[in-house]
Amino acid sequence: MKSLEAIIILTAMIVPFVAIKSYDISTYAYWSIITGIYLVYISISRW
Amino acid sequence: MFIYAFVVYAVIGTAIAVYAMRGIKSQEDYYIGGRRISGIISALTYSATTYSAFMMVGLVGLTYASGVGALGFELFYLVGTLLLLSTYAPKVWELGKKRGYITPGDMIADRYGDVVARTMAIIVSIALIPYISVQLIGVSLILEKNSGLDFSTGVIISAFLIAFWAFLGGLRSVAWTDAIQGVFMLILALSTVIWVYNYGFQNTSFFEELPKLGELLVVPNKVWTPFRFVALTVPWFFFALTNPQVFQRLYIPKNEIALRRMVVLFGLFGFIYTILVTFLGLELRVLSNAEILPMIKNRDAVTPTLLGIMPSWLGVAVSLSIFAAAITTANSIVLTLSSMISKDLFKSENIHTGKILIVVLTSAITMFALQKPGYIVELSVLSSTLLLCQLPLIFSVFHWNIGGKTSGILTLSVGFLSAILLFSLKMNPLGIPASVWVFTISFAVFFITAKVEK
Repeated sequence: MKSLEAIIILTAMIVPFVAIKSYDISTYAYWSIITGIYLVYISISRW
Repeated sequence: MFIYAFVVYAVIGTAIAVYAMRGIKSQEDYYIGGRRISGIISALTYSATTYSAFMMVGLVGLTYASGVGALGFELFYLVGTLLLLSTYAPKVWELGKKRGYITPGDMIADRYGDVVARTMAIIVSIALIPYISVQLIGVSLILEKNSGLDFSTGVIISAFLIAFWAFLGGLRSVAWTDAIQGVFMLILALSTVIWVYNYGFQNTSFFEELPKLGELLVVPNKVWTPFRFVALTVPWFFFALTNPQVFQRLYIPKNEIALRRMVVLFGLFGFIYTILVTFLGLELRVLSNAEILPMIKNRDAVTPTLLGIMPSWLGVAVSLSIFAAAITTANSIVLTLSSMISKDLFKSENIHTGKILIVVLTSAITMFALQKPGYIVELSVLSSTLLLCQLPLIFSVFHWNIGGKTSGILTLSVGFLSAILLFSLKMNPLGIPASVWVFTISFAVFFITAKVEK
């Protein structure tokens, strides 16, 4: 379960290297949102 | 003006440290607060220990110079830390309570023997001296530019406070002063972002000017190549397990609820602080591009330049918050190292040995800082890379029932020496970053030697 969680979050964090190429706030916003979602997940999930 | 603010800061911190001295009877009280620290204080000390002067000096400049890749680098660290803490923190806390661990080395000694814990104490001491020196260099550059104090005086004043507060009240003193300073750091980062926005974007829009940064808004770019990103991110990703000053904090929460609160609130602190600091770097770069601010060539000079244009009261407060960030990180490391050298290396059960070591270690760090070695980011990462050699031993405690004294010593020694060798020769064999080599070599040595040892 933790391995799957690690793969999902790391894959999500790598996305800007391959998929976001616009010269605006997109990359910044994307990384912030993914980290925010993961923080919420950590705070409500069972460890 | 800075001097008056500094005196107030030093007096308040010292009063807290003196108050924290009460009731310290054992090493458990001195080094881990008697395992009675609340979740909120644990979270704030974990945050203030983790987030150093690197954030407001190094990371602002790094974002300014290299763009959003700096945010990705820092958030990769945060995500990695949350992943590791949600997996290992409850296990480490429970094991620590059950077996009476005080230092990170206690867990290693329990599993691999005293000699391995001794080796680890030596290695982390060597590795963390540059890291603490970075804190002293960072704040002393700020002090030099904004308060009239020369660099050497700044280093010596910082070093004195680092040693003094840790010396007086141990972990409780460090944790309580960390908590106040952590809140102060966060408030001042927010104030700086708001001030810069109001200062620079009255006649121009941030979002209209932002696209002009071009390549700085995407990854990879000229600075954030995949190679550089991996090289910097790998050591930081495992920071929560390899850096003893944060690992030791896993022992301090008073119960499991406090432990969970520590992890979640630390995550929230780190998330907000990282967003603020990197946004500040982007704001300043946009202003330089729009010729509202001068273009700054040296990335470590970005924050000092900003402080120079701020109203003096805010500049003083921000300088003090950077000073606080450095102190909170450095005194936590010094206290942890003193516990490891005293308890793991010298096998002393006496608090006074640790107190003497706080003075000795701080003196060594001061000498290193006065030489002003290299660039801030690279030095910090070198420390984390040197510490990667501990990772196989820590993982093995929880996952694999293999390895003993020989594999422990060989893993630490070969991993550490390979890091020194690769960095000193500036080698990245086969185009793979040195940090990845150290990680791979350490695990390979551990598995091979553990198999032979068995």
